[in-house]
Amino acid sequence: MSVTEQGLLERDKDTMTLNMGPSHPSTHGVFRIIMEMDGEVVQSAQPEIGFLHTGIEKTSENKRYVHVIPMTDRLDYLAPPMNNLAFCLTTEKLLGCEMPDRAKYLRVIMCELARMGSHLVWLATHALDIGAMTVFLYCWREREMILDLNEEISGVRMMTSYIRVGGVMKDATPEWLAKVRKFVDYFPAKIDEYELLLTNNPIWLDRTQGVGAMTREEAINWSLSGPALRASGVDFDFRKKRPYSGYENFEFDVPVGKNGDVYDRYLMRVEEMRQSRRIVDQALNNLPGGPCNVEDNKISLPDRDTLHSSMEALIHHFKLVSEGVNVPEGETYVPIEGPRGEVGFYIVSDGSGVPYRVKLRAPSFMAIPGMCKMMDGSYVADVVSVIGSIDIVMGEVDR
Amino acid sequence: MTAEEVIEKIKSLIGDDIKNAEVRLGDAVVFVAPDALQKVAGALKEDADLRFEYLSDIRGVDYLDLDREPRFEAVYELHSFEHNHSVRIRVGIEEENPSVPTVSDLWKGALYPERELFDMFGFDIPGHPDLRRIIMPDEWEGHPLRRDYPLTIEDVAFSHNRDFKSELVKSKPPTR
Repeated sequence: MSVTEQGLLERDKDTMTLNMGPSHPSTHGVFRIIMEMDGEVVQSAQPEIGFLHTGIEKTSENKRYVHVIPMTDRLDYLAPPMNNLAFCLTTEKLLGCEMPDRAKYLRVIMCELARMGSHLVWLATHALDIGAMTVFLYCWREREMILDLNEEISGVRMMTSYIRVGGVMKDATPEWLAKVRKFVDYFPAKIDEYELLLTNNPIWLDRTQGVGAMTREEAINWSLSGPALRASGVDFDFRKKRPYSGYENFEFDVPVGKNGDVYDRYLMRVEEMRQSRRIVDQALNNLPGGPCNVEDNKISLPDRDTLHSSMEALIHHFKLVSEGVNVPEGETYVPIEGPRGEVGFYIVSDGSGVPYRVKLRAPSFMAIPGMCKMMDGSYVADVVSVIGSIDIVMGEVDR
Repeated sequence: MTAEEVIEKIKSLIGDDIKNAEVRLGDAVVFVAPDALQKVAGALKEDADLRFEYLSDIRGVDYLDLDREPRFEAVYELHSFEHNHSVRIRVGIEEENPSVPTVSDLWKGALYPERELFDMFGFDIPGHPDLRRIIMPDEWEGHPLRRDYPLTIEDVAFSHNRDFKSELVKSKPPTR
C-alpha cells in the first residue's frame, strides 16, 4: 500500500500532511511527528509519544528503594548514573544522611563521565542527521572508552547502577583511577578534532545557524532546560546555583549562548564536554580517602569481611537484603543537572521500605512541546536538526 | 531568597488565597485549593520579588492507601532563575469529579504534564486547549497511576486470567 492510500500523505488539500516516525532514524527513538506542510514549510507539527511506555513509575510503587535504582538506569539510558544520583539524593534527603567525601567524588566522576558519553552520542547522531558521517565514527570511538571504564568499575557497560542509596556500589581501584586519568588526558585533543570538523564548517553553519531559534522568554515559558535553555541566554546550572554532591568544590565554567539556535546548542554541549573533563580532572587530583559508603549499616551494607566476625553486621546485612531501607514519611524533590537538563525524582514516602509515589522530572518530556514550537515555519529539512539539537531520549519521555 | 523568606513573602502577598504555607524538609511548600490555583500561580509568577517564571514539573499523587482527605493531589514545582529559589504548590483534589484548572496560559510548558495528569490520574483540566491521552493509547481504559488500578493484569485476548480480570475491571472506578 502506498503512503497516499494509507492516509499518511494526503494530497487533496492545500496543505499536505506528512508523517515522520515512529520508527525513523532521525527521531532518536520511537517518536512520531505528524506535520502539516505548506510546500516545503512546516505549518504545524503534532508529536505523538508513548511508544516506549514501560510503566516504570507504576512499577516503582511496588519495589523496594534499592530495586528502583536499576529501573532508573533505563529512563535516560544514555546517562544512567545521573538518574541513579537523582534518585539516591532524594532518598538520602528523606533519610537525612550525609555522604562521605569519597562517595561524593566518585559519584561526580561517574556522572561527568556519563555526561561526556551522553554528549558524545548526541554529537555523533546529530552530526550524522545533518550528514557528517566521520564525526559519528570519531565520537563512537571515544564513547567506547567511557563504556569500558563503566564496565571495569561496575561490571556493566551501560546500565551501571553504580550509585546506590548511602554511597556507591564499591570503591574505585587505583588501576581504574589511572585509566580514567589516561582518558582525561587523551580526551581534549579529540574534542578539538570534532570542532575542527564542524565548528567553522560552512555546511554545518548553513544547516544550524538561525535554525530553530528560541528567545530567552520563550525558552523559559516552554520549560526547556539544560543546554537548550542556556543556549537561549539563561545562566542557570544546578551544579553552580544549587551545588549537590560536592560540586561546590570544583572549578568549572557554565557556557551561556546568545541566539538560542541549533548552532548555539551545539556550542554549549561541546563546551560542556570540556568542562566535564575539567571536573573529572580535579576530582582525580583531589580524591579524598576514607569510606565510600555511609557508616550507618541500616542504610548501606556492612563490610563483607566483618560478616564472619560480627553478629550485628550479619543481622544488618540480612535485614538490608531482605527488607531494604525504611525511609521516613515525607515527600521531597532534589533537582540535579543532567546532560539534557533538570533531572529529579519527586518521591512520596509512607514510612515503609517501598516508595509510595515516584515521579521523574524528565527534561526530554518537558522539551517536546517547545521543540515542536521551534519547527513551526521551518523547512522540513530543518526538522531533523531541531530534533537533534534538543537531544531527546525516548526512555525518559515515555517512562 | 531562602525557603523561609519565600514562605513569609507568599503569606504577606496572597495569605488569604492559600490554605497553608510551610517549609518541609527545606523546601517551600504552599497548599492551595483548586479554585484558587490560577490566582495564586499568577501572583507567584508576576510578583517582582518572587518571579517564579519557570514551571519545572507537575505531578499527580493518589493518596488512596494512606486514607488521606482529599484523595488526589496535583503538585507544581516552580523555579525562579532570577532569584534562584523554588516553591512547590500542592493542590488537594476531591475524589468525586477530580478537576484542577489549567496553568498553561501562564506557562506553556504545562501543556504536556497536564495531559499526563488526565491520562494517568483522570483529572479534568478545565481550560486546557488539547486534553487528550498522551502516553497511553487513545482507546485505553482506566488511569494507570491510580492506586486502585491493578498492576499485573494485562489486556491479552486469550489469557488464563481473563475471568479474574473481568472481576477487577468491574470494581474499577468509572472512567471518562
